[in-house]
Amino acid sequence: MPPILTYDGIKVTFGVLATVGLYSVLYRENKFYRFFEHLFLGLAAGWTLLTIWVENLKGPWWDLMVGVAPEKAGDPGGNGNWAYIILLPVGLMGYMVFSKKHNWMSRIPIGLILGLWSGQQIQIWYNTYGKQIAGTAQPIWPTTWSSLTVPNYDTLQLSPEALAAARSQVYLSQAITNFLFLMTVVCVLSYFLFSFDAKSKLVRSASGLGRYLLMIGFGAIFGSTVLMRFTLLIDRMYFIWIEWFNNVILNRS
Amino acid sequence: MEGNKTFGDVLQSLPKQVLYIILIVFTSVPLFFPVKVPNQPLESSIDLYANLMSVKPGETVLLASDWTNSTRGESLGQFNSVMRILMRRGVNAVIYSTGDPQAPRVAQDAIAKLNVERIAAKQPEYKRWENFVSVGFFSNGEATVNGMATSVRSSFNGKKDFAPGRGLTDVFESPILKGREKVADFPLLIVITGSKTSNITVERLSGKVPIAFAVTGVMGPETGNFYQSQQIVGFASGLKGLYDLEGLMEDGVNNPDKSGNVVVKSSKYGPIPGFPGEKNDGQGKRYYPTLHFAVGLLILAVIIGNVGMFLSRSGGRK
Repeated sequence: MPPILTYDGIKVTFGVLATVGLYSVLYRENKFYRFFEHLFLGLAAGWTLLTIWVENLKGPWWDLMVGVAPEKAGDPGGNGNWAYIILLPVGLMGYMVFSKKHNWMSRIPIGLILGLWSGQQIQIWYNTYGKQIAGTAQPIWPTTWSSLTVPNYDTLQLSPEALAAARSQVYLSQAITNFLFLMTVVCVLSYFLFSFDAKSKLVRSASGLGRYLLMIGFGAIFGSTVLMRFTLLIDRMYFIWIEWFNNVILNRS
Repeated sequence: MEGNKTFGDVLQSLPKQVLYIILIVFTSVPLFFPVKVPNQPLESSIDLYANLMSVKPGETVLLASDWTNSTRGESLGQFNSVMRILMRRGVNAVIYSTGDPQAPRVAQDAIAKLNVERIAAKQPEYKRWENFVSVGFFSNGEATVNGMATSVRSSFNGKKDFAPGRGLTDVFESPILKGREKVADFPLLIVITGSKTSNITVERLSGKVPIAFAVTGVMGPETGNFYQSQQIVGFASGLKGLYDLEGLMEDGVNNPDKSGNVVVKSSKYGPIPGFPGEKNDGQGKRYYPTLHFAVGLLILAVIIGNVGMFLSRSGGRK
């Protein structure tokens, strides 16, 4: 059977149609694009609903509440625990946000979620930034002048002890890097001093430099974003030309 | 008027459809002619590979698969490379998703394709239930990962997967999850993601289990912070990270090839073997050279646009 008539062939062909349909908006807004956009949204919404029931509600809540009947001889099944029903009215209260009269009820589950969320924040903040703040404390003065730059450890024939000792040194190039890093942190932080009018020339200069350093950082992030977008396009082209045209149409996989 | 356009104006007013067609050509043609791009793996990629290779055969790792087809260009290749390493080393995986409802299905499809590849190469199948379990999707990533910090068993309570001959069965009856209660019972947690689930994981599990990431290029800079401050043990970022990983799978680290050359050197590790002769190439080898052509086109377009603007402003009419 030709690959295009197999299940995989039909699936890939439909995927190509959808890809071309969605990219057709680059030419101009059209019905072909709208069809596939709505199809995609409908599929995603339907899949999400199903997944939330199957994965999040049925096993971890419904089955635990009503119990599971034995499917065959020897299967112990499972007893239900009706205490789980308490979760149902709490969850339904969230939907009261759509009622003008009873929307106060929605604040109860929202309050619970906010409370749980807030309680986690101290630990989250420390876990995220604690080590990063500690890592900011870098030595800015060299501890050795034996070499101005960091030696290439990979090519050094040293004993493990000597290698560890060499690694523990701060070389001039490292000290300069650390200084630039520390200076960047301080300057960028000074840019966010909004609570008072900074009259000191030093603070104003640091703040101005901080703004440029931030822009350099954003530029680097934007650059990696562009690379990622290109990769997504390349993947679509691979899908069309290799997975469909080469493998399905030309049958050359 | 069209006739009054200067050369600078013409350079700045190329129809966008023409640019799109040129871009499609630049991102399509090189796919048919993959070339090897000289590469030096990043330290973060070497650390990821070393940590994956340090997990003992028969052990079980946690694998958060939080990507879907929307980031397939980067994430599928990363997932395939990580899974190939785990499969070849006989490491089991507990796969869960907190990023997207589609993620578990996408991961299962990817494993199915890898199994076809393994069977064709006369390698043992990576079996569901015996080698990996799919715990499925959790709609609240923050609460789930927070729960995992206390008890993996409680977080995965009520989750089922297909056991051979038994149908849907509690995941904790799987041999690979026997006796595992806490996150510390797992030697490694790998997060393959195209969303903020990597941040959620660090926020709640940092210090409790070694964490490694495979993230998209957009997330590379912020993930670098976690790596520099040793909150994660290694990571692969975007296509470059994937290309690194595929190269490391071929060459290993401090691992001499047949002619005695060591391709990738690192003073942090002893010899770590690769998998020469096996299928290590994938999206990385296909896409990375193509990306260079696309970026080259982008730079060219920026230069042309700037030259056009300069000529227009300097009033150089023909």
